Amino acid sequence: MASLLHYRPWQGEFHSPWWSIWPIARVSLGMFLSRRMFWGLYACGLLLFLMFFFGAYLLAWAESQLGVAAQQFGRDPSRMLRGIRQALRILNGSQDTFQYFFAYQGGIIVVTLSLAGSLLVGDDFTNKSHAFYLAKPISRWHYILGKCAAVAVIVQLMTTLPALVLYGQHAFDDWSYLTNVNYFYENDTGKGPAGIPLLLAVLGYGLLLSVFLSVLLVATAMWMRRTMPLILVWMSLFFFARVLANILVDGLKYDARWRLIDLWNNVTMLGQGMLAYAHEDINPKPQPEFWEAAAVLIGVTTICLMYLNHRTQGVEIVD
Amino acid sequence: MPDVLESPDAGRRDRGLTSEPEALATQSNATFADRSGSDARAEEPILLFQHVSKWYGPVIGINQVTLELRPGITGLVGHNGSGKSTLLRLAAGLMRPDLGDVTIAGHDAWSADAKRHVGYCPELDTFYEEMSGRQFVLTMARMCGYAYDEAFRRTEETLELVAMGDRADRTIAGYSKGMRQRIKLAQALLHDPELLLLDEPLSGIDPIGRRESVELFRELARRGKCLLISSHELEELEKLTDHVAIMAAGRIAAVGTLTQIRDLLDDHPLSIRIASDQNRILAAALLELDDVGGVDRDERHLVVRAKNPRRFFQCLAELVVDRMIEISHLETLDESTHDVLGYLLGGRSARDA
Repeated sequence: MASLLHYRPWQGEFHSPWWSIWPIARVSLGMFLSRRMFWGLYACGLLLFLMFFFGAYLLAWAESQLGVAAQQFGRDPSRMLRGIRQALRILNGSQDTFQYFFAYQGGIIVVTLSLAGSLLVGDDFTNKSHAFYLAKPISRWHYILGKCAAVAVIVQLMTTLPALVLYGQHAFDDWSYLTNVNYFYENDTGKGPAGIPLLLAVLGYGLLLSVFLSVLLVATAMWMRRTMPLILVWMSLFFFARVLANILVDGLKYDARWRLIDLWNNVTMLGQGMLAYAHEDINPKPQPEFWEAAAVLIGVTTICLMYLNHRTQGVEIVD
Repeated sequence: MPDVLESPDAGRRDRGLTSEPEALATQSNATFADRSGSDARAEEPILLFQHVSKWYGPVIGINQVTLELRPGITGLVGHNGSGKSTLLRLAAGLMRPDLGDVTIAGHDAWSADAKRHVGYCPELDTFYEEMSGRQFVLTMARMCGYAYDEAFRRTEETLELVAMGDRADRTIAGYSKGMRQRIKLAQALLHDPELLLLDEPLSGIDPIGRRESVELFRELARRGKCLLISSHELEELEKLTDHVAIMAAGRIAAVGTLTQIRDLLDDHPLSIRIASDQNRILAAALLELDDVGGVDRDERHLVVRAKNPRRFFQCLAELVVDRMIEISHLETLDESTHDVLGYLLGGRSARDA
């Protein structure tokens, strides 16, 4: 074995430690993608996407059929068309489409991440394998960012990427969807902006989900490590907190600010804000102000980052 | 068992070990002197602990440790919970000391600059079971900052080095303990570090693998690397080096060669078995020496208890020359790592270490 020892001196430049983020993320993603269960959940998300994707064609087909039928029976089709469009407005590529798409996909994302948190992050601490990473010439923040990047990629794959495909589908159908901000108002087919502002809103919504959920998952998975406790924590944060907020605000008529304890509501509220929803159009009503929801999310993210900083001060393991 | 008439470094002269007392530390301060000759003596130590303490809540992991390591192999021994792993983790930059400084080649051990000089092979065996050994080592190479081509080249080289080149495509889940050790060793050697921190590197490796690993460690030491090896396999450690740092209750109890440490254990006379052509005369003469605590005699041998081994061997040499006694056998009976550790750690069996 010793005779094989022949290192060639390294002459090149070392990459910056920032380059190590992707290999860390790739290891986590590799483990994630090697589990069939997660492919199953991804398939569920894909079904939702397909519903939206082919739903657009369904809407177009329904409109054309309705027009023909109305002419045959001698009725004014415009009123019926409005009714159909109102019923299927979530398929027309407007702000509603993306709001509902992100909301539905978000549910699957939350389930997926609560199941995957242990695998993506917790096992590193359970098995102490993060020592391999932290002994290399990177800082703990590179390690944390690598883990966050893995979660963010999963979120992007399940939300932003299919949302962009939906956007592209509508743009491909009608080029003015991409170029005309007032596309929906001019065609009387929906509300909200189209064109580049809608594209930026979709990207922003995806970014918001990625950043918040990745930091939250990495922090809670470092804390809980095991799958079941992590599921309970995420259920508390995203389900019980929501139920409690609804009871307090809708049932007991407390101040709308009590809805701020519902983190998912805060995320979707900000997302709808990006999609140019008016505050009064956001359901359920009443809602806190946009800035209040943003402040809560920033606060929670900051607390998570402080915890991560503390937790990775060292491999604090007493044998 | 080493023969006292020979240098205790008989099998390790290639490392250029000095025979003068280097240092022995009690009361937690240990300055481990150079073993590579006067040139290296002037150099910066590769690993330097300066009054380092680390607490785990109310429990103290290591306590006011001062330690200095230069090229060569050092064994790190001590009971469970004595602070060995904490010391290794601090040296690897995995933890920050609560008090004091740990520096690697002049850099704070916590910094990325320091970690470029360190290869760390932890004790744990469970890691990324779904990955193949090759993928794991390649990922670790990318962590070191190498471009893909260079990372790939180094991965292949180090896998060959640890004799895993042909088995590296299997998933780690299917690896034996010995194969996992080799993969861990490979990731530690990737970037050709000056300081190798090896936590139980021989555990679970088959005899042939052990011999190869020992050869590899010696070769690395010959190339000027500094190896700090924590091991419970004291016999294997003895084959590798007689330089040890002995830890007890979070402190460095002693650092140096086993012989040096043994010499300073005044409370525990060294037992020496001697056979000569005139055992009766030799026994009588030895009893007259101040440094001899007693002599037991059987049919063929004398067992001498020497209070001060160094002075004893000087006197013995003069004695046999003066009286024309021919020594046919001479061996020390309690100079092994086990024995020294047992004496130092105060009654607890060294085999628990």
